[in-house]
Amino acid sequence: MIGASPMRPTVLRVEQLGKIFGSQDPAAVAQTGPDAGSEKSPDGSSVVAAWDVSFDVASGEAFGVIGESGSGKSTVMRAIAGDHSASAGSVWMQRRDGSTSDLLTMSPSERRALRVDELAVVYQDAAEGLDLNVTAGGNIADRLTAAGCRHFGQIRERAAELLERTEVPLDRMDDLVRTFSGGMRQRVQLARALANRPPIVLFDEPTTGLDASVAAGVLDLIRSLLEELGIAAVVVSHDFAVIEMLTSRCMVMQHGRVVEQGLTDQLFEDPQAPYTQRLVAAARA
Amino acid sequence: MSATLSESIDRLDAAAESRLDSLLESPGDVGILDEHAKRELRRAILTAVCVPGYQVPFGSREMPVARGWGSGGLQITLALVGADDVVKVIDQGDDEGVNAVNLRRLVTETTGATETTEVDEATVVQTRHRIPEDELDEHQTLVLQVPVPEPLRGVERNIAELGRMHAEADYSRMWVSLYEDKVRNGVITKSTGYPCLVGGRYVIATTPIPRWDVPRLHHAPFLSLFGAGRERKIYAIPPDTDVEPLTFDDVPFEVERTAGARCALCGATEAYLIEVPPSVGGAEDGRWICSDTSWCRRRRATDGDA
Amino acid sequence: MNSQQQDAQPRPPVLSVRGLRKHFVLHNVDGRNVNGLNGVDLDVSAGEHVALAGSSGAGKSTLLKCIYRTYLPSAGTATLRSPTGEVELTALADAELAGIRGRQFGYVSQFLRAEPRRGALDIVARAGVARGMDRAVATEAAAVSLRRLNVDESLWDVFASVLSGGEKQRVNLAAGTISPPQLLLLDEPVSALDPANREAALELISDLTSHGVAVLAVFHDLDAMARLASRVEVMRDGRIVESGPPGEVLHHLEGVAR
Repeated sequence: MIGASPMRPTVLRVEQLGKIFGSQDPAAVAQTGPDAGSEKSPDGSSVVAAWDVSFDVASGEAFGVIGESGSGKSTVMRAIAGDHSASAGSVWMQRRDGSTSDLLTMSPSERRALRVDELAVVYQDAAEGLDLNVTAGGNIADRLTAAGCRHFGQIRERAAELLERTEVPLDRMDDLVRTFSGGMRQRVQLARALANRPPIVLFDEPTTGLDASVAAGVLDLIRSLLEELGIAAVVVSHDFAVIEMLTSRCMVMQHGRVVEQGLTDQLFEDPQAPYTQRLVAAARA
Repeated sequence: MSATLSESIDRLDAAAESRLDSLLESPGDVGILDEHAKRELRRAILTAVCVPGYQVPFGSREMPVARGWGSGGLQITLALVGADDVVKVIDQGDDEGVNAVNLRRLVTETTGATETTEVDEATVVQTRHRIPEDELDEHQTLVLQVPVPEPLRGVERNIAELGRMHAEADYSRMWVSLYEDKVRNGVITKSTGYPCLVGGRYVIATTPIPRWDVPRLHHAPFLSLFGAGRERKIYAIPPDTDVEPLTFDDVPFEVERTAGARCALCGATEAYLIEVPPSVGGAEDGRWICSDTSWCRRRRATDGDA
Repeated sequence: MNSQQQDAQPRPPVLSVRGLRKHFVLHNVDGRNVNGLNGVDLDVSAGEHVALAGSSGAGKSTLLKCIYRTYLPSAGTATLRSPTGEVELTALADAELAGIRGRQFGYVSQFLRAEPRRGALDIVARAGVARGMDRAVATEAAAVSLRRLNVDESLWDVFASVLSGGEKQRVNLAAGTISPPQLLLLDEPVSALDPANREAALELISDLTSHGVAVLAVFHDLDAMARLASRVEVMRDGRIVESGPPGEVLHHLEGVAR
């Protein structure tokens, strides 16, 4: 080990995560994947959306998951987030109290409690992460009150602080999120996700669907936040630029499997797997 | 064989006749609820008392009043009272409201209970949207008629999601609605049916009782039973239970008060007063009178004696 | 010169490369194999500036990228030493490598890779903070460095994406050298600079070695090498073919390196 190593503790470890939709026939695993050219089993009864997915993330580190649609990257994210169940594997998480829990064995209510202040998710569709019929401040108040804050003044103060940090004009704090532009909604979603200082944040295509210049701004913001807050992040995207800007390590998925995993710059400059080489060549073209 | 059969039939006939006789002698039992229905209601009430604030579903029966007109409260009262009981019924504090009079007559005529307008005489007080100004004691039961038992109705419509929110005590959206109310209006404007946390666990709708009455549920010596006939829910606040109105630490819960308002009839200032047109209730010299009519009347009588 | 160099026992090199090889498999071009490095041995010590010379395609950048692990080495070792221990860079787990990159050893390319909507001063200061500097100290040091590299103060808070190529390159150099790690890999860091700015940049790089930083660099011009290098390693076909002080090696490279 060199010097006072800057290595930080692993806070999220995904082990052999698998998700099969439809018939849970284990035979489907061998019949699907990059070699089979599909995530669907030949008889169509199963979709092996993700299989044998393993990676870990330390605090202060951002890990990327890149792939085309149908690659299983969002399935992995949603299984970690608890938005849907998994078929196999474990997702170990370092808890605030120092213990370690497997998220996949938790009850739905335990997982929801986790989402209050230990694990936050920023979705592509702001409507999934926000209540559009509530004000920007109210969306943050939701998380703060869920964590037990009962002081109106403190809620206002913290909401203003978060909105300021995510570059939402404070004079819009009391406007309904429905009246916000797409980029501004993502900023509010970020503010809400960070409300209770979660040690882990998952990003699912956080800038997809935004105009290029707006997306660049949101991306900048996410990068600064990751740098400053020392959170562990998982970033799921089909966009090389997003993964390149935000993550230091990443993996490539295709047809529900991991085809390659490595340092992000190495993966883009010296891709090993044929599929990754094709993907990089296409992105550079 | 045939002799045995005919003997059996005779026995059954006799049993049926004697039951009919007893039913006719006890008009309460033929009245509105049969013993089976009462037993079911009492079970639901007991469950509600055991889990303060939890909304217990029950098989709401057809009542001679339309649902939404006190059928939930009525069923609770009918399941509780017998001939020994003394029943008071008020509608918005008034014993003489049409609805109150009808319900009171219905209860006394079908159960044999006696009626009163005086709180201290009553064993059961059925009420729509008020708690009497007089303090009830541990021997008395307050039965509240509830139109909308679900406190989270305003923030969520999905029944399954509502169930989950209560199960997990996930009330953040209720807090958000209070937050937004305060942001928009500078104060929490929610006036009647103010949401309260019961026993530190379940949030309830305090029916549409005014804020004035809410603090009086906290550690009350009496049992409160809430019945919603249309929504088929019963919930309870047992004696000596914490009942905390949901409010922010730095936004104190305040009851309705209008500076300078006093009852035009009895002069009370420390009572829930309602605004009336000048000519109503003989209140020509003022616009406020007590909502609790029997309390007001007694005060006037006492003043007269003094 | 560094006082430690007068110790009786010379310190081991900061970087030792042994038998480093790299071949690329181009799966989408008939599975073609391309050799990048064919076994490189190299040492760089503290306070030493080693320049890689050779024609384009000789493997100079490939060597830097293999050490930094932007390219995955096929065989061989690259050992990084510090007073407290050593690590084998080619075998280090991704996460650990990512953890020491920039902090224990740095890579400065000819291109600025930063958030497009961030100002120059902020970019440089953040690089300092990432290496453990206090924010205020880092901002002060960033200002000194940018001033030294003649980056106009009026541009310090302008989005870096709108700066010229030369300005970006100087911002990049400032960011790469602020609170420098013990080993710096420089890949054509002054290629886009005009003579005056190039002069300032070379002086800054020269200062690095006099402060004990080990530098392994690729420059496209022999003049820079002659001025900065304590040793020149000449590469051809992915191998080191000649090694020595710049005065001995460079004169017969005239016309080759370009």
